[in-house]
Amino acid sequence: MKVKTTRFGELEVNPGDVLTFAEGLLGFENLKKYFVVDPGDSTLILWLQSTEDEKVAFPIIEPKIFKPDYIAKLLPADLNGLELESLSNAKLYSILTIPSNVVEMSANLKAPLVINSDKKIGKQIVLQDSKLSVKHEMYKELKTYIVNYSSDDARRTNVEPSIALEAGDLKPTSQVRTLEV
Amino acid sequence: MLVLTRKLGESIAIDDNIKIVVVQIKGKQVRLGIKAPKETKIHREEVYQAIQDQNTEAVQADLSSIARLGEELKKK
Repeated sequence: MKVKTTRFGELEVNPGDVLTFAEGLLGFENLKKYFVVDPGDSTLILWLQSTEDEKVAFPIIEPKIFKPDYIAKLLPADLNGLELESLSNAKLYSILTIPSNVVEMSANLKAPLVINSDKKIGKQIVLQDSKLSVKHEMYKELKTYIVNYSSDDARRTNVEPSIALEAGDLKPTSQVRTLEV
Repeated sequence: MLVLTRKLGESIAIDDNIKIVVVQIKGKQVRLGIKAPKETKIHREEVYQAIQDQNTEAVQADLSSIARLGEELKKK
């Protein structure tokens, strides 16, 4: 199928690569179909491009690249919505905000995108951890990673970031927790 | 919208498994305790607004911002 995009022109997309975000993304609830564009540039940034609105594309990146200790703790409800039986088929991305002063770029750690690569389902998940920021500045960490990446050929084959996902209790329980909001 | 009046220490039950307790009242601030099953999502409303704002800001990025970022990242 051919998809028109404002940033990349017309792209040929394999219908099997189209991801369904049944709930859309917050603020973009009416757009459900996306695919990932890898422009292959040095920044390691990918794009989540809408097939339904050519203007809508989110710059995304794997958070392990700039924050190796990041863990997205998913609740059973999140896993069910993604039809995820195990986390090995899941991909995790952070949405980036890139202002005109690019060194102030930030990643949304509070609400990452989780994608079930087998079932081609995605969801923007709001994590419960209140310490996570929607605007985590990470330019320096990205730069450090890229400098190491391009200067160390030995590591280059080994840069595939592991997935920082953690499942909560998989079986829904009647267990009660107390939260102060 | 259903509106209920509660005193300090009193609570509201929603379904059989969710309970909201007024823990503290201090001037214009109310502290609420929420007991709910693990799979229930509970967030301050502003969190959703902040995420929506970030998403809206994120789609403003174009290839020229990425190109500028690429240049900046290359600098020693």
